Amino acid sequence: MIEAKGVSLRYPDGTLALKGIDLEIGTGELVYITGPSGSGKTSLLKLLMGVEYPTSGSLKVMGQPIAKGQEGNIRRLRKRIGPVFQEFRLIQGRTALENVMMGMRFLGLPYRQAKENAQNALARLGLGHKALSMVENLSWGEAQRIAIARAVARKPRLIMADEPTGNLDHDNALIILDLLTSFRDTNTTVIITTHATHLIGRQEHATFIRMDGGSISVERRGKAYEKSLV
Amino acid sequence: MKKALYNAPYFMKEAGRVLWQNRLSGIFSFLSTGLILFILAVIVTCWSVGNLLIKTVQDEAEISAYLDQNIGEEQVPGLVETIKGMEGVRDVKLVDREEAYGRMKEILGEEAGVLGLFDENPFEAFIEVRISLGELGKIAERVEGLKGISHVRDNREVLERVQSITIGLKRFGCLIIAAVGISTLVIVSHMIRQGIYNNRVQIGTLRLLGAPESFIGFPFVLAGLLLTLVGGLLASFVIVFLINRAYSAMAGSLPFIPLPARSQLVTGLVLFVSSVSILLGVLGSLFGLRSTE
Repeated sequence: MIEAKGVSLRYPDGTLALKGIDLEIGTGELVYITGPSGSGKTSLLKLLMGVEYPTSGSLKVMGQPIAKGQEGNIRRLRKRIGPVFQEFRLIQGRTALENVMMGMRFLGLPYRQAKENAQNALARLGLGHKALSMVENLSWGEAQRIAIARAVARKPRLIMADEPTGNLDHDNALIILDLLTSFRDTNTTVIITTHATHLIGRQEHATFIRMDGGSISVERRGKAYEKSLV
Repeated sequence: MKKALYNAPYFMKEAGRVLWQNRLSGIFSFLSTGLILFILAVIVTCWSVGNLLIKTVQDEAEISAYLDQNIGEEQVPGLVETIKGMEGVRDVKLVDREEAYGRMKEILGEEAGVLGLFDENPFEAFIEVRISLGELGKIAERVEGLKGISHVRDNREVLERVQSITIGLKRFGCLIIAAVGISTLVIVSHMIRQGIYNNRVQIGTLRLLGAPESFIGFPFVLAGLLLTLVGGLLASFVIVFLINRAYSAMAGSLPFIPLPARSQLVTGLVLFVSSVSILLGVLGSLFGLRSTE
């Protein structure tokens, strides 16, 4: 699913966000990327989404190289990804259903199927009754779940959630994590970044990527390796 | 195609939203586009009427060849035939003294009484030669050189003046078309840029979700098209109203001015203005989209 070899990312202002990352994530894995703010979690997700390109090394997502000159292919790749953004990025002035459907309008799905997918996703996230509510009238937690519904309704092969528990209380954060992990199956990989490690400690069948200042460590069902970051 | 169709209501809604978000500048853009297209429609109407006038005048271009006083009557038909055989001559007619007198009487109308001051008919017989306008100079020279012709009178000066006015009108029309095009493109592309700026978060999200640029850009193209099309329809409505008024007024007071068939003029004009507005709307939106990439 994801293959990174010696991937580094340096921003134009000279900040080195990632250096020499080696990583392999298989299909159907549940991956938590943890670490404090500024440790590079979001930078890694940006690379995986093709928003940034590695300044060195090679990165492939679902076989698609993430590199300059691949913009068209990366755009197509994103259709197979369900992103949940930290700040939700819901479109104001639209209903919950319109927001969820917006992620599917260009996928080539028949209208009925797209609408059914959207309604099912909203229902699964407990928001079926809010389908026709304007998103600006919803609570923070509800908006979060609509963002998840938009990501999963597309039936993506890769779900990437950036700090989905960021502003939620303990109970709601657990609900969101449970919901997100419930979409993982044999075909769908789920990657979640979070700095709330206390919430994910109970996970037994997950891969943990810990990013902490100078190092990245990967723990996969008990196995772990460390690599110097800087 | 199916995908585009099921997205059609979405695109329309989004285009309406883009226009609604900038409704004040939208209203001004729509009015200025309408005004610009109205000016274009006026120029095209003048052009169309001018062209018909020129064509009519060209068809009626003629010279009058006056006969030498020493020529015998039996020689006149021969002269008529000689002129008929010249290249560029459409028709030749001998106008005798009585007909010349009658024509003047008709021209003078109520003032025709002045002709009674003459003891005898003061007009001479002449040969009326209808010709192609382009050949006027050449034919006038050749006719004047014929034996039995004393002199030739033509309306070359009038024709040349009308022709130069039409050429000026055509050049002015081209300038107006260029000005209309550029102004509309600037207005529309500015509106679209503003719309893109207002919706930058939505556009960014759609890009992250993998939406193709065509999907993202189409509502903006549609918004630009709607803006100019409505402006074009407003311009068409006003010009059609004015044409109807002008036709009614001219039919009574200036019946001698040749006018194109009203329905033909109106249909052509509405189609032309609508096509131009659609073209400019699409181009302006594409420029707006392009400039924000």
